[in-house]
Amino acid sequence: MPGIVDVSQLVKTYGDGTKAVKGITFTVNEGEFFGFLGPNGAGKSTTIKILTTLLQKTSGSASVAGLNVESDAAKIRKIIGVQNQDTVVDEDLTGRENLVLQGQLQQMHGPAIKERVDELLKIVDLTDAADKRAGFYSGGMKKRLDLATTLVHNPKILFLDEPTTGLDPQSRAAIWAYLKRLNEQGITIFITTQYLEEVDRLCRRLAIVDLGEIVAQGTPGDLKQEIGADSISLGFENSSMNGGDVRTKARQVLEKKFDGVSNIVDSDIGLTVYAKNGSYMVPELVRAFDDAHIRLSSIGVSSPTLDDVFLKHTGKRIRVEEVSSANSRGMFGRRRR
Amino acid sequence: MSFFSDAFHLFVRSMKKLVRNPILVFFSLFQPIIFLLLFTQLFSNLGRFISGGTLTYTAFATAGIVLQNAFSSAFQSGTAVVDDIKSGFLAKMLATPVNRSAILFGRLLSDVFRVVAQTVIILVLAFALGVYPATGIIGYLLVIFTVAFFGLAWSGISLALGLKTKSAETVFGIAGAVTFPLLFMSTALVSLGFMPGWMQNVSNFNPISFAVNAIRNPITGCNLDLTVCNIGFDWGTILQAFGVIAGIGIVTLGATLYLFRKVVS
Repeated sequence: MPGIVDVSQLVKTYGDGTKAVKGITFTVNEGEFFGFLGPNGAGKSTTIKILTTLLQKTSGSASVAGLNVESDAAKIRKIIGVQNQDTVVDEDLTGRENLVLQGQLQQMHGPAIKERVDELLKIVDLTDAADKRAGFYSGGMKKRLDLATTLVHNPKILFLDEPTTGLDPQSRAAIWAYLKRLNEQGITIFITTQYLEEVDRLCRRLAIVDLGEIVAQGTPGDLKQEIGADSISLGFENSSMNGGDVRTKARQVLEKKFDGVSNIVDSDIGLTVYAKNGSYMVPELVRAFDDAHIRLSSIGVSSPTLDDVFLKHTGKRIRVEEVSSANSRGMFGRRRR
Repeated sequence: MSFFSDAFHLFVRSMKKLVRNPILVFFSLFQPIIFLLLFTQLFSNLGRFISGGTLTYTAFATAGIVLQNAFSSAFQSGTAVVDDIKSGFLAKMLATPVNRSAILFGRLLSDVFRVVAQTVIILVLAFALGVYPATGIIGYLLVIFTVAFFGLAWSGISLALGLKTKSAETVFGIAGAVTFPLLFMSTALVSLGFMPGWMQNVSNFNPISFAVNAIRNPITGCNLDLTVCNIGFDWGTILQAFGVIAGIGIVTLGATLYLFRKVVS
C-alpha cells in the first residue's frame, strides 16, 4: 500500500554543485507520527522543501497523498500545513489577523474562516491575546500562533521543521501536547527535531539522515534494540598521557581485554563503549584502566537511548541549541523593515 | 478567480502594516514636506526669474516635490519585499495555494495607494500655502493619476533591486544615491532655461523631467517654458510623459516579474 508520503531515490543537487540529498527512499504511512532526524546540514530541510513544493528536485520521485510534488503542486498545497524552522508570523498583524490571512490565502471564505480561527485560538491558548499584535507575543506564543496558522485549512498532513527549537521547556511541552492531540485526530505528522526524548515517546517511526543519505529507519524500539547493548560512558582525567592520546591508549586496552565490546565511539569527555550487560563490566574496566595507568574521572552506564542510535549511525551527538535565533531576535525588540 | 481576492487580501495586509508603522510614512513624507515649507521659501525669489513673475516659486516647485515624494515612497517597496523573503513569510505564502502573481500585484496595489495618499497630503499642504490648481479638481485628479502611474513604474526599480540583491541596505543605498542627482538634473526644482547648457541636455533625457512637466501643467496651467499661462491642459506634454513612464514601467516591471518568477519557482 502506498504511503501518504512516498519518496524514492530522491536527489537534490543545488546550482553550486552541493549535493544536499543523495538518493533517499522512505515512506510515511497515513496517520503516522514520523520523525525525520539528522545532524545540521544532513538534508532534512531540503527534503521538506521538496515535499512542500517549495523546491524542485533534481531526480527521483516524491509524492504526497498520491500527488506528484511537481505536476500536482497546486493540489498538494491545499492539503498540507507547513511550519518553517524560523517562526514566521507577521508581527504587525494581530494573532487573529495572521490566522484570518492564512485562511484567505488557503482560499477559505467568510464564516468558515471566523469559526475555524476562533477554534484554533482556543486550541493554542491564544484567545486572550488574539487581538494583540504578534510583535508583542513571547517566543512561545509566536511559535504557537505559527503552528495554528498551519492548521487553518484542516490539512491532512503537517510538515514541521524544528517546531520547538528555542522554546522554554514549558512551551515545548505545550507544543508537543498539541501535536500529540492532532495526531490522535488523524493528522499525519512529519517532523524534524533535536528533542529525542519526545521522538522516542511520540514518533511511531523515524528515519535518520546524514550527509544526504538515510542511515537508519524503523520504530524507536527496533532501532534501540538493534544497538542491543548498554552504553558505558568513560571520562578521562587527562586527554593525553606519556605523549600519547589517552583515547587511543584506552581503545587498545578495551580491544585487548574485553570481548563483549561491540563498538567504541569518541565522546566529549572520553569514550562511549557499547557492550552487552555493560554494568557487569564496570569493575573489570576500572581494574584494567588502573593497571594501564589511565585515570578515569567518571564512569556511567545506561541502557540504549535514541541518542545512542543517533550517535551510532551519524558519529555525532544531536545537539540542542537552547539559545536560538528566535530568542536573540526578541532581545532586540520588534524587527522593523 | 483567486487572483483578485488574493491580491486584495495581501493589499489589505500591506496597508495594515503601513498604518501600524507610521514612522515609515513619516520618513518618506518628511523630506518633501521640508522642501515644501523651507526650500521654497529659501528660493522664493527664484519665482521672478523662472516664469517672469506670474508664478510663485512654491507653485512652481510643488510639481517637483510631489514627484520627489513618489520617488521616496516607491523606493520603500523593494525593502518590504526583502523583508518578506528574509522573514520566511514569502516561503510560507508559497506553501499555500495563493495565486503567485497576486503576491506581486497586491504589493504594487498598496504601493500605488500609498503614493496617492501621500500626494494628496502634499497637495493639501501646498493649497494651504497658496498653490491653487489652475485646472481645478479635474487637473488634480490628473496629477494624482500621473503620480500613481509614475509610482508604479518606479516601484518596479526598487522591487527588482530587492528581488535581485535580497538586501534592504542595497535598495536604500542605491535609492539614496540616485534620488538627488536625478532630481537636480531635471526640471523638478528649476525651469529648463535656468540651468547651464550641459545640464539642459541631461534634463532633456531625464525621465523625471517628463513626469514633472506633466504634473506641473495641471497645477500651474502654464505651457512648457512657462511663457504663457492660463492655457489649460497641455495634452502634448502630458501624453509624452505617459509614453515615457509607460516605457520605464515596461522595463522595470518586466524585470520585476522575471526576477519574481525566479524567486517563486
